[in-house]
Amino acid sequence: MLLEMLQSLPQVLIDGLALGAVYAVVALGYTMVYGILQLINFAHGEIFMTGAFIGTTFFILLMGMGWVSSVPQIFVLILVLIVTACLTGLLGMGIERVAYRPLRNAPRLIPLITAIGISFILQDVIRFIAELSSGNYIVTGPSLFTDQMTISFSSLSSIFNDASFKTSFLIVLVTAFILMISLDYFINRTKWGTAMRAVALDRETASLMSINVNKTISITFFIGSALGGATGVLFAVQYGTIDPFIGFILGMKAFIAAVLGGIGNIRGAMLGGILLGLLEMFASANLTLLTGGIFGAEYKDVFAFSILILVLIFKPEGLLGKPTAEKV
Amino acid sequence: MKETLAKFLQYKWSQVILFTVFVAVSSAALFFSQKSVTAFLLLLSSLLILHYIKLKNVTKWIIALGLLFILIPFASSGGPAFQSYMDVATMVGIYVSMALGLNIVVGMAGLLDLGFVAFFAVGAYSYSIFATPQAANFMPFGTYPLGGESFWIFLIIGGVVAAIAGVLIGIPVLRVKGDYLAIVTLGFGEIIRILFNNADKPVNITGGAMGIASVTPPEIFGIPLIFPNQFYFVTLVILLFTIFTVLRLERSKLGRSWKAVRENEIAAQAMGIPLVKTKLLAFALGASFSGMMGVVFAAKQAFIDPTSFTLLESFTILVMVVLGGMGSVPGVILGAAVITILNLQVLTELATWVNQLSFGGVISIPEALSPAKMQKFIFGALLVAFALYRPKGLIPAKNKIFDEKKLKESSTHKDFKTTDQKKIQS
Amino acid sequence: MSILEVTNITKKFGGLTANQDVTMNIEKGSITAVIGPNGAGKTTFFNMITGVYQPTSGDIRLEGKSLLGLKPDEVAKRGISRTFQNIRLFGEMSVIENVLVGMHTGLKTNLLGIFLNLPTTKKEELLAEKEAYRLLEHFDLAPFLNEKACNLSYGAQRKLEIARALATKPKLILLDEPAAGMNPAETRELTAIIKNMGQEFNVSVLLIEHDMKLVMEISEHIVVLDHGEKIAEGNPEEIRTNPKVIEAYLGSGAVQTV
Repeated sequence: MLLEMLQSLPQVLIDGLALGAVYAVVALGYTMVYGILQLINFAHGEIFMTGAFIGTTFFILLMGMGWVSSVPQIFVLILVLIVTACLTGLLGMGIERVAYRPLRNAPRLIPLITAIGISFILQDVIRFIAELSSGNYIVTGPSLFTDQMTISFSSLSSIFNDASFKTSFLIVLVTAFILMISLDYFINRTKWGTAMRAVALDRETASLMSINVNKTISITFFIGSALGGATGVLFAVQYGTIDPFIGFILGMKAFIAAVLGGIGNIRGAMLGGILLGLLEMFASANLTLLTGGIFGAEYKDVFAFSILILVLIFKPEGLLGKPTAEKV
Repeated sequence: MKETLAKFLQYKWSQVILFTVFVAVSSAALFFSQKSVTAFLLLLSSLLILHYIKLKNVTKWIIALGLLFILIPFASSGGPAFQSYMDVATMVGIYVSMALGLNIVVGMAGLLDLGFVAFFAVGAYSYSIFATPQAANFMPFGTYPLGGESFWIFLIIGGVVAAIAGVLIGIPVLRVKGDYLAIVTLGFGEIIRILFNNADKPVNITGGAMGIASVTPPEIFGIPLIFPNQFYFVTLVILLFTIFTVLRLERSKLGRSWKAVRENEIAAQAMGIPLVKTKLLAFALGASFSGMMGVVFAAKQAFIDPTSFTLLESFTILVMVVLGGMGSVPGVILGAAVITILNLQVLTELATWVNQLSFGGVISIPEALSPAKMQKFIFGALLVAFALYRPKGLIPAKNKIFDEKKLKESSTHKDFKTTDQKKIQS
Repeated sequence: MSILEVTNITKKFGGLTANQDVTMNIEKGSITAVIGPNGAGKTTFFNMITGVYQPTSGDIRLEGKSLLGLKPDEVAKRGISRTFQNIRLFGEMSVIENVLVGMHTGLKTNLLGIFLNLPTTKKEELLAEKEAYRLLEHFDLAPFLNEKACNLSYGAQRKLEIARALATKPKLILLDEPAAGMNPAETRELTAIIKNMGQEFNVSVLLIEHDMKLVMEISEHIVVLDHGEKIAEGNPEEIRTNPKVIEAYLGSGAVQTV
């Protein structure tokens, strides 16, 4: 049994990393918003999904133009990433302005409810736009970066099988890491990053230090949503087919990743995302094996939630978070 | 003119007369028309009007019971659409009961549970498995399916099993901070659905994605219950029991504990309220109403599969509670009725109507925008609009009004107070 | 006879020591005050007594029985009740309901009683309501009984918190800055209420307060905390003249001038 698991390990690692990178960047959006507003932004998964749709639309449009085919695909990707990130960033800012800001002093249940509402609206709006323009809400984008690559792990040791992947895997991984590193730099080294950390710590004191709290929160939403949207594009590139409902479950998983890493903690979200991606892929590859066929790969979502519950019970502050006690 | 009307409407008897006329007209319209959804809805809305009439509570209840048990089934029996009306009314009853259950958790105790449909599923499956040959796959003793009389016992079993599920879910969840509760319950809702979806191997317990078909219909005095109008009465009785219990709970020590926990956990604890136990009770009791109705639902449909218990269902119940007014029993009843009817009647009617229009070439509305498909959009918009502009819902929750006179009676405090005052002055 | 004995309790938050080896006794029926500059660890001290925090070391005994390891609700059931520095009422509930929640530890009804509306439940509930009303009358809050607690004035909210705490029929009541934010008239009224509380409700009082006039007027015993440690205790006169206390409040230069 162990041998079989080892054999598949290289492929599990590759697939897990790709999925984990997606989780990690989406988790950043949750963790940033939670850090600054203590709000679970349920709509974040939908922003990711919207990003996937905007990106795919651009790809289809651009690929339709003849001259584009002479441009290297990587430039097309960068262009689409930037435009999509800006658009979803604005969308996120808009959502904050309309649905969360008026409720900042309401009981905490209320903004959670608007968040769920917004998430429903986005799902359905995207659904009917997609359905209106293409007749079907399941959309397949142009295939990009499809060259197959193989890393021959078997040459390392005969226990392992070879792992194969598309070039898109590298693109996803590299882009995700660039996004994460630049965010980390932004938060820790720039003026606005400092303002965000200050507002997250103490909104009132920050405002006394002449930090524009509303603007800072807007920027947080812009960046979080831009990252989410960009990841949506990456997801579309990696997996090809998208539908308006991909955001919900993926969003929840990303949230789990954020909790796993320690909610409110940027680096924790990255760690949690990668870890969850790897664990989940490992589970879906080996659950059947491990449980003697009782539980199959269809239980991988159950597995992810079990992780969440275990973390909440035994280490609610997450892997990198600090425990907090409510002041009495 | 307007003023005289307003004045006229203030009198109790003028209200009663108008109400009687309204009920008479709408029920006559319903009885004599072939199929009139409007008349049916008007007759149902008479219950809402009744809520606002200035009458004693007891009188109102008697009138309401008369409407529900006699007039509504009788008036709808006039046309061929009788069974479809009764079906809708039964579904309303089922959802109202569930929404009242969720209201305990969300509205009173302030715990956002996004996986509430899981308990409904637990109830539904507990009856379905034993009322079909399904149970024979894993039960070492007994013969299955059980007979239709077992339904009545399963009403209780369904409630109890759902309550136990509520406690089992609650124990790990309620230790965590409030915000996470939403996401964890969401996860549990999905887990339970996935379990039911896949528990057809290695032992076939739930029938997996195929679901369970031909559930034995309930039997009473040897008569099997098959038709919606029969289920209408079963549902009605359970619903009344639910309303009665929920009202009791709300005004009791327990109801106050829930509200105290919702308002301020730390203060509630300092007043001697054990947090986890109180929250678990909310979870368990809320779940049990849902479980009971799950049993009714399974028996009524005679077929269940995991698609009836999706996330969307959980959210639908939440929309009912938010729309009606969190913590408000009459509000939640209204909210659940409105949403169920919207879902089952209005949206489908609108969809057919729109279809006819586009078919006739009057206007062309693309299939993607068909009202029947817009559920999520409508629910989303309702949630946002109500949270932003009317967070207390259609009928806001009210605190019990205490009668000062009654409390003053036999209060010997008066003289105590004066001596007290003297003491302070001296 | 002492009702509460605190022996050598210490509380550390990571590297920060909030309380260090604090020992004190509260005599039954007495009014004891804990004073000290801001950040002296007074509220942490309260939180340890009420079970919100567990002390790092040391012991707390109520009538000889240790409270260590108990949760706040269990401590409340043992007979310690409290108010909060930043008011924590049940805002959306009515004034009388707030007091009724305080009475819960004394209500014996169970689920069955609630479902069946048993006569004993009804009677118990009515008695509780009447008693709650009497408490409200005592605090001049009776006219507002059906008002939402969050709509009361600040001073009235403070009084309601005390009424709610008394409703648990505590042996010891902890008041965390009861006069904070009150105007002089309200403070005077409050002073009288606290002063008579011991006899009327058969309760011992422990309070944190910054209003020295109030403290000196009503306390029989005063404990001074500074930087988490007890620096002095005694009756008001002793505290007033204690050089250590003056130093803690006014700085070391002040001692010479006094």
